[in-house]
Amino acid sequence: MQKNRSLLALILVLVIAAIVALVNVPFRLGLDLQGGSQLTLLVRPSPEVPQITSSVMEAVQSVVRNRVDALGVSEPIVQSVGTDQILVQLPGVSDPAQAERVLGGTAVLEFREETASQEIRVQLDVRIQEATQIALELEALKASGEQGQIAEKQAEFDRKREEIQALNLQLYEKTPLTGSNLEDAYPEPAQVGAGAWNVGLVFDNEGGELFAQLTRNLAGTGRTLGIFLDEKLISSPTVPAEFATTGITGGRAVIQGNFTVQDANELAVQLRGGALPVPVEIVENRTVGATLGRDSIVRSIYAGIGGLVLVLIFMVVYYRLPGVIADLSLVIYAILTLASFSLLGVTLTLPGIAGFILSIGMAVDANVLIFERTREELRAGKSLYRSVESGFYRAFSSILDSNVTTLIACVALFWLGAGLVKGFALTLGIGVAVSMFTAITCSRTLMFLAISVDDLRKPELFCPNLQNVRKV
Amino acid sequence: MRLNINKQRQLWWTLSAAVVVAGLISMVISWQQLGAPLRPSLDFVGGTRLQLELDCSVPGNCDRPIESGTVRSILTSQGLGSSSIQVVGEERQALSIRTSTLDVEQRTQLVNSLTEELGSFDAQKSQIDTVGPTLGRQLFTQGLLALIVSFAGIIVYLSFRFQFDYALFAIVALFHDVLITVGIFSILGLVLGSEVDSLFIVALLTIIGFSVNDTVVIYDRIRETLAQDKLNRPIDQIVDEAVNQTLGRSINTTATTMLPLVGIFLFGGETLKYFALALIVGFLAGVYSSLFLASTLLTWWRERNGQGMSPVPEGPTPGEASPDSNEG
Repeated sequence: MQKNRSLLALILVLVIAAIVALVNVPFRLGLDLQGGSQLTLLVRPSPEVPQITSSVMEAVQSVVRNRVDALGVSEPIVQSVGTDQILVQLPGVSDPAQAERVLGGTAVLEFREETASQEIRVQLDVRIQEATQIALELEALKASGEQGQIAEKQAEFDRKREEIQALNLQLYEKTPLTGSNLEDAYPEPAQVGAGAWNVGLVFDNEGGELFAQLTRNLAGTGRTLGIFLDEKLISSPTVPAEFATTGITGGRAVIQGNFTVQDANELAVQLRGGALPVPVEIVENRTVGATLGRDSIVRSIYAGIGGLVLVLIFMVVYYRLPGVIADLSLVIYAILTLASFSLLGVTLTLPGIAGFILSIGMAVDANVLIFERTREELRAGKSLYRSVESGFYRAFSSILDSNVTTLIACVALFWLGAGLVKGFALTLGIGVAVSMFTAITCSRTLMFLAISVDDLRKPELFCPNLQNVRKV
Repeated sequence: MRLNINKQRQLWWTLSAAVVVAGLISMVISWQQLGAPLRPSLDFVGGTRLQLELDCSVPGNCDRPIESGTVRSILTSQGLGSSSIQVVGEERQALSIRTSTLDVEQRTQLVNSLTEELGSFDAQKSQIDTVGPTLGRQLFTQGLLALIVSFAGIIVYLSFRFQFDYALFAIVALFHDVLITVGIFSILGLVLGSEVDSLFIVALLTIIGFSVNDTVVIYDRIRETLAQDKLNRPIDQIVDEAVNQTLGRSINTTATTMLPLVGIFLFGGETLKYFALALIVGFLAGVYSSLFLASTLLTWWRERNGQGMSPVPEGPTPGEASPDSNEG
């Protein structure tokens, strides 16, 4: 009885602690429940970086984290998965397009100097004229609504644009000034034109000097400064002659690209975060709207609770007094398991909730095994006390073996699975472990407490129709 | 109720074989039609799925149902004519489109032209999934690997706790449960077009965990009864007795597990519906295989290897349904 009493105290303490934990530590809901985006980035090797080592992964991860932080998402998760993937979770983001653009872009910023050669410039001017002509024809066609011809013209225009891009690359020579010299980048409204935005740049000391040198070279020559982003010319300002002696000093510049406020902000984010050392590709994007997630959580939880209530009723009807005790320990089980979820920081996903509901089934199974055994012993004519005792004792090896095999499956899932699968394995595994404790300790303690009360010490409360069986 | 499991074991085996074979046939047909034994979802083959719902808080936005023809022509004009389109929801205001993998620009363009033609969508109720084909393969191989590893783990554990033949037949029963579930979903894929996603692999692994439970409980009882048997009864009697003693527990446990599952299947969210169904099918197959296959196969094996104790007495004696657990 002494042992029984201390066990009872232990259970009570655990339950109170669990309730305190549940009240104070909020659950971490998965993106499928609270809504948001989950992106998986695949890191690819490049000619410069032929192998993805862990230090490359760390570098990519830190750039990605910087960009995520700049997006202003609360509680984002950035973690590497396997050897070459990065998982990014953005709770509450319902427009994944922006996140995708910001995270996937390499954003290599370069400042190039126009060559003195006139030949390419002339070619380029001709191409630009041709492109303008095609663009005009395209507009005219769009008014007529002739689908086939529009597509043809559009293709011609795209070809022309590519030619221009190629010529641009020839026209400009690389300089030592790149995005790595940036200290800051920020969107700022353009002075002219409503709604147009620029990206302001601040260079570090070295970058400031390089920029001054570059602008000094170009000032007054009529040649332009090419600002390239990912090998594409974004803007090509000229430098006024007045800077011919000193160049533009102070280490500040502006990219005028006639941006929208969103584009300007995205570009600034990409530039601030630094360039990715290797290209990344977005291989997975799962976005769930917030309401959709809430709908399915509510419906699934109601369905699960409905089923559980039926289980609780069934236990009392079928197993009588032990059924009541099983229900009590099932409730304790649910409280303890949920508390371990929130204490261990388990992210609850929809499959995770399913895993939890299933683990309740497991917890019931252990009780059913014990009570069936108890009934057998009673039918065999043993005393109530001995029946209950050997019920627990005999059922133990079955409970152990069956739970260990389930745990083996959980470990395999957790070890090899990813994302949703991992969450499910973890919740089911925790559930199974806690159910062993509650079935063996809680049910047992409560059961012996019950049979220490005279009024409850009636075999009929444990096994209906026991007399009939004995008479046979 | 008393079952003579071993007397009709040919019947149980035939029944299981029939369902398994039906599933296998369906998988072959499905292989010819779809190139895979089951209809694979986005998770495995890659692609983009857009689930959009019109924003009905905008006045005049939900006046008329979405016409799939309109959607089809928008998709065709963007070179996505082979995509599958479903107009869903009672009011037919929601749309589910599955296309080849789209990048951000293509997707934005598609959503923009859909918005232009159909009205604005509610971002809160939309879902966008894009899975690259490589990732799908990876998910699949990971799942398969997890399946094999758990099989191996269970064999090792059961060989250690019981004997190797117990472990072997437990695995046979597990294969049976997995095959039946996969087979039935293959049939569902052909008939109803239901797809299997990564949750299906989770379901298969759960089925393994649960159905081996049942088998272990019965084997545990067989082992115990064998150890206590002083009459040197034949193995089939001992197995029958063990199965009957655990029958009440098997039925009750299955019932209590089924209740929440059926609840989720009938009333739960869309995502979990087929997950719950897979579990229902698998658990039922699991109980059946534990009761009727794992036990009879063990009997057959032990009889064949001369471990069947004394020869089988003539005719079964079903009338003697007395509680046999009287130990000294």
